[in-house]
Order: sequence, then structure tokens, then C-alpha cells
Amino acid sequence: MKNMNPFWRGMLALLVFSLAGYGVGLGLDVLVDGKVNFSGPVPGVFALFFGFTAFFLGVFGYRGITRGLVWQVVGTLIGGLFVALIRLVMGLPAFGDFFFTEPSWVFGGLTGVLSFIVGVGVVDDWIKWARGLDTPEHHEEHYSDWRKYFGVSVDHKVIGVQYTVTALLLIAVGGLFALIFRTELAASKLQFLTDQTQLFGQNGPQLFNTLMSLHGMIMIVSILLGISGIINYVVPLLLGAQDMAFPRLNAFSYWIAVPAAVLLLSSLFLGGFDTGWTGYPPLSARAPVGMQMFFLGVFVAGWSSVLSALNVLVTVVRMRSVGMTAMKMPIFVWASVATSLIALTATQFIGLSFQLVMFQRLFGMGFFDAAKGGNPILFQHLFWFYSHPAVYVFVLPGLGVISELLPVFVRKPLFGYRWVAMSSLGIALVGFLVWAHHMFTSGMNEYLRVPFMYSTLLVAVPTGVKFFSWVATIWKGRISTPTPMLFALGAIVVFLLGGLTGPPNATVSTDLHLHDTYFIVGHFHDTIFGGFVFPFFAALYYWFPKATGRRMNETLGKIHFWLMTPSFLFLTLGMMYVGLIGMRRRIVDYDPALLIDGWHLALTVSAFLIAISVLVFFYNFFYSIKNGEKAEGNLWHSRSPEWQVPSPMPVHNYDRPFEVVGEPYDYGLNDAGYVKFIESAGGKHG
Amino acid sequence: MAHSQDKHSALGQGVTIFIYLAILTLLEYFVAVSFNATSLLVVMAVSKAALVMYYYMHIYKLGADDGADPHSYAYKTGTNRFGLWLFLLSDGFVFAGLLATRINLLGFTRPHQLSQILGLGVTAVLLISSFFMNRGETAMKYGDRKGFMLNTAITFLLGLGFFIGVIFVEWRLAAAEGLTASFGNPADGPMGAVFYIMTGMHAFHVLTGLIFLYVVWNNARKGVYTAEKHWGVEAAAVYWHFVDLVWIFFYPALYLIGTAV
Repeated sequence: MKNMNPFWRGMLALLVFSLAGYGVGLGLDVLVDGKVNFSGPVPGVFALFFGFTAFFLGVFGYRGITRGLVWQVVGTLIGGLFVALIRLVMGLPAFGDFFFTEPSWVFGGLTGVLSFIVGVGVVDDWIKWARGLDTPEHHEEHYSDWRKYFGVSVDHKVIGVQYTVTALLLIAVGGLFALIFRTELAASKLQFLTDQTQLFGQNGPQLFNTLMSLHGMIMIVSILLGISGIINYVVPLLLGAQDMAFPRLNAFSYWIAVPAAVLLLSSLFLGGFDTGWTGYPPLSARAPVGMQMFFLGVFVAGWSSVLSALNVLVTVVRMRSVGMTAMKMPIFVWASVATSLIALTATQFIGLSFQLVMFQRLFGMGFFDAAKGGNPILFQHLFWFYSHPAVYVFVLPGLGVISELLPVFVRKPLFGYRWVAMSSLGIALVGFLVWAHHMFTSGMNEYLRVPFMYSTLLVAVPTGVKFFSWVATIWKGRISTPTPMLFALGAIVVFLLGGLTGPPNATVSTDLHLHDTYFIVGHFHDTIFGGFVFPFFAALYYWFPKATGRRMNETLGKIHFWLMTPSFLFLTLGMMYVGLIGMRRRIVDYDPALLIDGWHLALTVSAFLIAISVLVFFYNFFYSIKNGEKAEGNLWHSRSPEWQVPSPMPVHNYDRPFEVVGEPYDYGLNDAGYVKFIESAGGKHG
Repeated sequence: MAHSQDKHSALGQGVTIFIYLAILTLLEYFVAVSFNATSLLVVMAVSKAALVMYYYMHIYKLGADDGADPHSYAYKTGTNRFGLWLFLLSDGFVFAGLLATRINLLGFTRPHQLSQILGLGVTAVLLISSFFMNRGETAMKYGDRKGFMLNTAITFLLGLGFFIGVIFVEWRLAAAEGLTASFGNPADGPMGAVFYIMTGMHAFHVLTGLIFLYVVWNNARKGVYTAEKHWGVEAAAVYWHFVDLVWIFFYPALYLIGTAV
């Protein structure tokens, strides 16, 4: 056992403990229900908890994340049993269909998250401060190898990598869910998710609904973690800072997302839910317990996003290098500020709307229950007040990455720097005024429709500024196309398609037809791939050498790009086509008379091609960490400060401070450069 | 001595602001019981909020010059202060969302089951606690540890009184009058749900504020803070005033605005 590769040791533990958890769940089921149910929800959720925890136990031992997960399991059980006991005293049934009753699961979920936080050790220093004890500013790392990523670290680079890898894992999970229900859709009628299918207390179509809903939210959480990953790693380096403004809060923001992901996944086993990621009542007020775990998971993940945004804003305002005035900041920093402004404020509204539904379910408070005088439309207002700006949270950093990378690979200044910087803020600002365009068919007051239509169309102005800048930057440049640049160019094309298909949805007259069809699905996958996924890959290929000192394989990178891009374009354009013909979104089956069976088959094939290309990426990513070609210098000939020092980045970032002496993107001009290191400054921590 | 004069004028300012706030609160009450003037109530609430934010929460310190040395305590405190205000902004959106919910669901009506005297009473208790918090913070600023501990203890007790008044007295009385969250008279509409979620969310923040107050009081007892270095005290004070700030809007929203039905 000791000499085994840690990964395989983890996999072995995962297998053994999943089975053990399954057995425990089966036993508990018998205890409560009196009958054996092999495909029931309780064995599933115990197998998930046990297996997940055991994987990290095998890899890493009882430390860091493993301790957090063990504490989460124990905390959940204690919280759940506590409520069960109270219910027993009150004369209510102590246990329910999913072993615990709904209040038990909610309270247990909450205590589980808190236990994780304490168990993983991310609040140790705060507890010391509260007791009046002082702690050192920087902690020495316990490990210098891969193991530092499995425990609490306050180094922004470590946290950036933790965020990024977690985001990639969640992308894999969300993508897997998509492949499952995409396969079901390959032909009309029910294939394998039939009425007879029984798994985790759900039949086939219910399982379809759960997977479809979870695909949405898991991808959203993974995007939030992904942008936090890039921002965390890059922004302090671009600013010349030692770390983020609040390193402990930074670690906290990351670690609270881990139990949130566990809660989200557990909803699959606890009866699932069938509302889609939007969770509209009254449907969400009636869905199984899984709905509550979903709400709770999103609420906790939301705090991760809020606190991380807070940290970014303070870091940018307070930790810039000498001479880095607002208009000399790298454009990615501007994008991070804009995205953080939205995440900091609007996120509270989705948290609140989900909380109100949770209370409605738990205590019968009738906020959205029309029978009690509540208003279901109010939920949609609260929900979209975050969830529309949220798409700008997703895409603004990606658009920033495009603007950041283009000048490097065309060797020309970024066209209209000031306008691009302001356009990010403009999108963020206008983004707050457009939410009700999701509600044209909801039955809200009709006079609201036209103003929201025009405010939505207004978003095209600052976005157009960005496109104009990109085209003008590329114009007559000396273009080279290594993998990061390919993805940046792909992002522009895909995002353009997403942008052009937006106005038909924003225009009331056309939206009445397009609403809730696959046209919408195609549209937003274009915006999110163009605004996040492509730039995310570009950023990973671009900054990978900075983090590891090695580069990813170019050939595999190009295979990844040339396999993914055409498949993806076909997928989304095909989705739009079937949507126009009448394919509704979020349903397990469709009418063969629509004559779109062939289309759906082709869409499923292209979805699998995308999955294969991402597998190529995963192989490239994990293989290159140890075996990639060495790249320790300024690989891309960038002017940016982080490339002026050797890779991988030293532990405490720059050993001497730098001063901003020029413009960030004056490529191809004869000048002194963007930053100059200050030689004579005393001390390492200048 | 200039030092004690400064301290005196700082404490005097706290008294003056408290008198303004108290008069405005009483005016609110009498305006509400005499005639239906929502816009006037909004103006008065905003005025109170502005006074609290400027004189008790010292929002102007965000623009202060913290010096050039990023490793000094002053600069780090400035960074912390900015972070705290961003947190309050974010938290403020929770309460703004609750206010929006209240406006959407209740409009120009309010629950008739609430006791006006009790409402004014708990509001006064919270306002007075903010006054003592300001005295405590001012004392610490001038190095008066004893004065800080005494005033913070009073603040804590008043805060506890508010919490008990809302959760254990007002909730019980309202429920006895028939204002329930769920299973009561359906004709009540969503009144009960809105009342309990707004007061409940606010009370949760009062509770966390009490914990912070205890932490800084206990640390002051151990001698952790000095006149120059007491960020923890400032943070707890600003947070406590924020809790009061929220109530400045929630009190009229629940007790005063619109007609009681």
C-alpha cells in the first residue's frame, strides 16, 4: 500500500468505501423502511459521501481536504440526527423517505458545511485572532510538492491552481451529465431513461430532469471557480503584489466551495429535482428533498463568489505597484474589477430568492405561494436580478483574456485601451438593468417589456466596442497562432455568434416564439463558450508555463482546438435550428413528426466529439505538468510583468518590486517597456 | 490639554448626533400615527441613515490618506476598512432584496397585529446601544480601555435586550394576535411571512454583532488594543452601527408605512 501511486491508492479507497457506504445506506434503509431497496437514494448518497472522502484519504491521508470531508459527513449526520431528535420530542416522524426528513437534511447540510470549514482548518487563524492571539503574516508551507494543493494554503498561486483544477473536475462532471441526457435525446421516444428505469428514487424522465438541471448549475459553479482560478493566479502578479489583500479570506472563499459542490452533487441522490437550474416556484416548492440540497449548495457557493470578488476589488484598489495608475492597469485587471462588482452585490439576490423558497418549503411561509397571497413572479425578479448579470460575471474575465492575449500574438498595441477598459464597466452597469428580458412570457406587467427590451439591446454597444477593438488590433498585425492565440481567435468567432443571436431573444415580438426553445440553448452556449470556455482554455495554455515551468504540448493543443471548434459550432447552430422548428428545451422526448431525429443524432455525435477533444486537453494538462517541454523564460515575448521573471513563479512572487514606466500594450514600438524592476530596494517584501 | 479636549468634543458630537436621531425617530412615530405620509417617512429614514453613516460609521475614513508604506498598521487598517465596507455593501443587498420583497407583497399595507409601543421601544433600545457603541469606540481611540469596556458592555446588554424584545416578546405577541408565518388565517396573506423573515434576518445579524462585541470586549480585557492599533474595535463598532442602519429602514417598513390591515 505504502509504495503505491497515491492516485491509484485513492481510487482503490474510493471503490472500497463506496461499497461500504452503499452497504451502510442499505442497512439504514432497512432499519427505517423495513425493506431492501438496491436502487434507492440512501445507499447512493452514503456511497457518494464515503467514496469521495476515501479517495482523498487514499491520496493524501487524514489531513487537509480529507479531514474537512470527514468532518462534513460527521457534521451532516449530527445535524440531521439533532433535528430528528427534536422531531421525535415534538411527536413528528423522525425519519423520512430519504432516511432523514427534509428539515434534517437542510440543517444537517448546513452543519456539514460549517464542520467542513472547521475540519479543513481554514478558520484556525481567525479563531486565534478572536481569542486575542497573534499569528504570523505568512505561514510556511507544510509541503512544497503536489501535496500543498490538498490542504489549506494562503498563497494566491496555490489557491488559483486549486480553483482551476476544481473547476476542471466540475466541468468533467457537468459534461458527463450532458452526455448522458444528450444520448437520450439522440432519437425521439424514450431510449434508456424510460418509465421503468429506477435509480435513486427516480424514474428515467425524472433522472433526465435532474441531470439536465444539475448540468446547468454544476457548470455555473465550475465557471465561477474557473474565473476565480485565473483571477487569483494572475491578478496579483499583474499588479506586482505579494498576494491578495486578504489571503485567509481567499483560502476561505475557495474551501467553502468544496462542501458546496458536495451538497450540489448530493441532490442527485436525494430524489433529484426537476426545475432546471432556475428553480422557479411553484414547481421548486414541491420538488423532492434534492431541491433543498441544490438551494443550499448554490447559496454556499454564492458566498465563495461574493468573498472572492470582495478580495479582488480590495486587492486592485490597494495593492498596485508604484506608477500603475488606473489607465495603466492591464486590461484583464479592469475586466476582473467589472466582474467582481457584479458578483459582490447581485449574488445576494439569488441567495435570497433561494432562501425564501427554502423557508417556504420548511415553514410554509407563503412568499411565492399564490394561494397564501404570495407572488411567484417576485421570485423571478429576485432570481434574474442576479442571474442575468451573472452571465457578465462569466464572460467579462474571458473577454479580458482575449484583449490581454491578442496584442501579444499580433505584436501590436491594443486598439482603444481606454474604451475597452470602460466597456467592461459599461457592460457591468447596463447588466443590472436588463433582468426582466427573461420574463417576457411570465405574465409580469406588460409595460415592463419594452423598457427591458431596449436596455438589453443597449448591451450591444459596449460589447461592440470590444469587437471593434479586437478587429482593429488584429488588423495588419504580425499574427502568430500558437494554441492560446487559436483559442482567443476561436473565442471571438463563437462569442460573435452568441452575440448576434441575442437580439432576437431580447426583442419581445421574436422572443414570444423563441422563448423556452432550443434556440435559447444554442444562443447561451455560444455566449458562454465564446465568453468563458474558449478564453479559459486560452488562459490555461498561456499561463500554464508560468505555473509549472513547462508548456503544454502544441500538437495536442491544436488537435484539441480543431476538434472542438467545428464540433461546437455545429452543435450550437444545430440547436438553434431545431429550436426554430419547435424543439422545446428541458424535455426528455420530442415529437417524431418534427422530423428532427436526424439532427438530434448529429448533435449528439458532435457533443461526443467535444468531449473527446476535452479529454485530449485533460491528458495534455496532467501529462505536461511533469513531462512537458521546459519553458522557463518569456515564452510568448510578453511585456507583462509576470513574464519578466523566470517560471515557475517563485513562492513570494517578485523578489524586488517594479515600477510602471510605460504603457502595457505598446508592442512593436521602441520604448523602455511596461515595467522596470527597482534594483536598490531593501528587503524581499518590498 | 488638547488631547482631552479632542476626546471631549468627539464624545460631545456623539451626543449631538444621538439627539438628532432620537428626535427624528420620535417625529417618524408621530407622523405615522397622525397622518399617512410615506414619502416624509422615507426622507426621515434616509436622513437618519446619512447621520449614522457619516458620524457613527465614519464612512469618510475610506478616503483618508493612509501613508505610503504598505506595511504600516495604518495602511493595512485602510485596506481592512475598505474590505469591511464592501462586505456591508454586499450584505446591504440582502436587506434591499427583503425590502423589495416587502414592497412587492404588501404594498401600502402593514400588519395591524404589531404593538406600536413595543416597536418604538426596541427601536429606541437599538438606537441607544449605537450611542454607547460610539462612546466606546471613541474611548478606545483615546486609549481609554476602561471606558471602552464599560460602554461596550452597555451596548452588549442593550443589544441583547433588543434581540430578546424582538424574538421572545414581539414574535410571541404577534403570533398570539394571529400574525403567523404559515398556518394562520389565509386572509392575512403573506404579512406574517414577510414580518418574520425581515425581523428574523435582522435578528440574526444582531446576534452575530453581539458575538463580535463580546470578542472585542474580551480582547480589550486582555489588553490587545491600543489607541493606535484597534482595528478589531473599529470593525465591530462599524458592524454594530450597520445593524442599526438596517433597522432604520426596517422599522418604518414594518411598523409605520401604509395602513394597518
